[in-house]
Amino acid sequence: MLLSLVLIVPLLLLIAAGIVMIGGKPSRFTRAKVALYPIGLAFLGAMGTLALLTSQDPITVRFYDPSSVASFIIPIGFYVDRLSAVMMTLITGVSTIVYCYSTNYMYQDGHARRYLALICLTDFVLICMVSSGNLMMLFLFWQILSYLLYLLAHNHLHAATLGGAFKTFTLLRIADTAFLAGIALAYQLYGTLEFQELFARAAATPMTLSILPGMEVSATTVVTFLFFIGAMGKSAQCPLHLWLPGSLFAPTPVHALLHAGIINAGGFLINRLAPLLGLSSATLHIAFIVGTVTAVLGATMMLVQNDIKKTLGFSTIGQMGYMIMECGLGAFSLAVFHLIAHGLFKATVFLNCGNVIHKARQEPHFFTMDHEDDGAGLSRLTWLTGFVTTLLIPLLILLVTHGALRIPLLESQGTVIILFFIWITSSQAILTLIQLRTVASWKVSAAMLLTLLFIVFVYLFAVASLTSFLYPNPEEVASYFKAVDLQDWLFDLIVVMSALVTILGWIYLYMRAHGRTVWMPAWIEGIRIRVYTVFLNMIYADWLYQVIGTMTAQLVHRIDKLERG
Amino acid sequence: MISITGMFIPCLFAGIPFVGALVCLVCWSDPSRVKRAAIIGSVISLASIAGFAGRLPAPPDGFLPLYLLPVAALVSTLGQPVHEAHRLAWVMTLVLLGLGMGVLTAGHPFGLLFLITLMLIIMLLLYCHHTTLWPISWWGIGSIGLGIVGAGCSFAAGPPISSVASVATCAVLLPLIPFHNGYLTALTRLPGSLPPFIVLLLPVLGLHGLATAMPTMPKKFVAVVSFLALASSLYGAIKALAQSRVRLLVGYGSVSFFSILWWFVAGAHQATPRAAVLAGAVGLATGGLLVAWQVIRTRYGDDVDPQSISGLAAAMPKYAVLLSLLGLAAMGIPPFGVFAGFMGLLLTSPPSSTIGLFIALTAWLAASWYIMQMVQLLFGLRRADLRYADLRHPEFTSLLIAVVTLLALGLAPTSLYSSDQPPNNAAAMERPLAWNR
Repeated sequence: MLLSLVLIVPLLLLIAAGIVMIGGKPSRFTRAKVALYPIGLAFLGAMGTLALLTSQDPITVRFYDPSSVASFIIPIGFYVDRLSAVMMTLITGVSTIVYCYSTNYMYQDGHARRYLALICLTDFVLICMVSSGNLMMLFLFWQILSYLLYLLAHNHLHAATLGGAFKTFTLLRIADTAFLAGIALAYQLYGTLEFQELFARAAATPMTLSILPGMEVSATTVVTFLFFIGAMGKSAQCPLHLWLPGSLFAPTPVHALLHAGIINAGGFLINRLAPLLGLSSATLHIAFIVGTVTAVLGATMMLVQNDIKKTLGFSTIGQMGYMIMECGLGAFSLAVFHLIAHGLFKATVFLNCGNVIHKARQEPHFFTMDHEDDGAGLSRLTWLTGFVTTLLIPLLILLVTHGALRIPLLESQGTVIILFFIWITSSQAILTLIQLRTVASWKVSAAMLLTLLFIVFVYLFAVASLTSFLYPNPEEVASYFKAVDLQDWLFDLIVVMSALVTILGWIYLYMRAHGRTVWMPAWIEGIRIRVYTVFLNMIYADWLYQVIGTMTAQLVHRIDKLERG
Repeated sequence: MISITGMFIPCLFAGIPFVGALVCLVCWSDPSRVKRAAIIGSVISLASIAGFAGRLPAPPDGFLPLYLLPVAALVSTLGQPVHEAHRLAWVMTLVLLGLGMGVLTAGHPFGLLFLITLMLIIMLLLYCHHTTLWPISWWGIGSIGLGIVGAGCSFAAGPPISSVASVATCAVLLPLIPFHNGYLTALTRLPGSLPPFIVLLLPVLGLHGLATAMPTMPKKFVAVVSFLALASSLYGAIKALAQSRVRLLVGYGSVSFFSILWWFVAGAHQATPRAAVLAGAVGLATGGLLVAWQVIRTRYGDDVDPQSISGLAAAMPKYAVLLSLLGLAAMGIPPFGVFAGFMGLLLTSPPSSTIGLFIALTAWLAASWYIMQMVQLLFGLRRADLRYADLRHPEFTSLLIAVVTLLALGLAPTSLYSSDQPPNNAAAMERPLAWNR
């Protein structure tokens, strides 16, 4: 039964693509509607797979001989475990909604057939990717996905879209090349590309590589670092994030699929290779740094954008940064939960953003430049709500995780750092109090707190359940947390710094709200505007990309000229 | 009996294309019949290989080149429109196919004689064919001449001079700087169906020679070859990035890929059937792109600037799809043969240095820029002043055969072309010692 489902789910998506593509013009709308059935069936199949895997072991289907993977360059095989099943359900679920929406949304578009077929094909590729039986097959579909992304973001009638699609493809290729190098190195070192065998051999035979004369590095670090760069591309991590804002001209349903499904590929890859990444603290630390930088930059750039799609795009970059940061802290299952939650949320928001734009055009709202409300200040009730949000809720989280969920807080630094980030995030919620200032009602405050509490506890229990579902062995989970342990001074520094940032932010906001002057050095005041401009221009990354491109082109032409004499 | 088979089969393989060429000459006055005869000659040649290749002893680089040569001849012949100006190219394609078959199947010294004849014919063609846009290139002709001298030396001299001379000839055929000019000149100057065929023929013959010469090469010389190969792969990529003329862009791009192949072969000290997959796939993808460019040349004039042509995606959907697929194959994207060959070598031949691997991957990555840029230019905005006409049946068939063959090369196991075994896991586990230096 499980075997049939594993094979049928991707096949149904391929059939859907065929239904959309093959046939005459008069029946294209009917065919577009009919194709929804196989997609819906694929979703049901994925759910069935997930249900069956709760009581069964992972399933492996191979159409090749694993001992001769190199002679059969593209070994087709499936390995479906609980992680794959969760991803399959997410992808097919989101796809069903996105496709259903698209059939109406793209009704009058001249390229509707192409887009709908590409959506089905992308789903097929995604499903094959998450259920790949080995690294080579995963890479095959990973590459095809890069090209499909190019096609989805491609509109040859619009020059800017064409440029964005080219940028998407070339940037993803950089990451894909690193991934390819990782695969080659892994095969050279461990002699296999089968997941379980690879993990076992890497754990059993620690090796070092001499990258440069006198520079020895752990082999797992090099391999996992190359894989991580591969994941960085698809997950739009800084500095490879540029393709995501560049592809914003694509139709809205494509974005819903992109932000809810495709972009999760990086998170999936890291989770799939978690046992290998768990062997390299250095790579996990790099992932933590890259993720944190991306989360901060993405969130900051999101705040200053004036276009709804760009705002959502940078929000995704920030969330993906957060997700990678969680992986870097050893919380792999938390990252999966994050990407599921984010995927569902972002798909909803993107599918609704057309309505928002439509509404905004009908009832334009212009920001007023006066500051009449500035003097109103915040009431005691508002501040009390803020206090509870930022101090009591994190404390409750701490007690629940430690007591009820039995997460080993004191033994793992990663969990503590995540909690501190939760604290910072909940402190960020204090900004919403600005919206409460005019209301200052205990009902509103209570509703807000209760909602927040409900979300937090559901989140925590869901994470705990997902962790025990994806990683049933608690020792494995503990080993990942252990692998990312930092040096004590660094850990203390991170904790103290994040606490300081939160408390200082609080104090600053409180004083400003009470009309008190906050002394600030003049250069900081001057920098604020500049920083705003920098982030508004997306840290000039696009400009830098263009400059590098132009300089490379000039260099290449100069070399060519020199060579020709 | 074995010797009879050993003599008969190479004669058959080389003879069929020659007979085809004679038939072409008989119906010279009718271009469409000449083309038909050339196509039939290629198909019969392919059928004879399918029937008899198994009876020949397996060469180190496998049987794949034997199968690919008639396919390339078929693709290049089909892709040309019927015109009396193309008759000579069709006949010469068959002649070169026959000689190529002879080189691959006839043993020493007949193979060498076939090779020298083939290079002499190309030299002669290069001398005769040049235009104001593509003037005569003495460097190119000289480079082919050097290849002939090398072939002669390898026949006359003893080792190690014969090995070095043989490798020099291979460097002319399977282009490697500074001997790449002959290949590039042939690709840009030769008329009609010859360039798309030559881009596969010469490298495949070069690899065949390399498979024999490389194991006997002195180690110090191999290090020089490795260095040249890496420099050549970067050089090819840089030159391809700088080109605005499609034929040169495609040519330099293929030089870059063939140089990567050189690096792998030098590192492994042998040319395996996987190397033949890469050589064949790069040659076929390049040939396919040249045929696709020929389609543009037929419609908009010789050596047209690609920046002045755009909007093909909507107006010429068949062409757009096939060109995209060929572009993907040429830049090494799975599941096509170039990726399979590259990956096969990457997995089975341990890279001799980390920096070398980095350079090879950089050259591989650069293809995404120059090939994608070319494809993107053609697909840009639709122009009102251009008249669009999608592929005709022969053009469509030609490009489709190229794409399907590239796909087959990517998906088929290499055991189909040769019986060589991949390294077992135990060997792979021992290999890391080489890394841990």
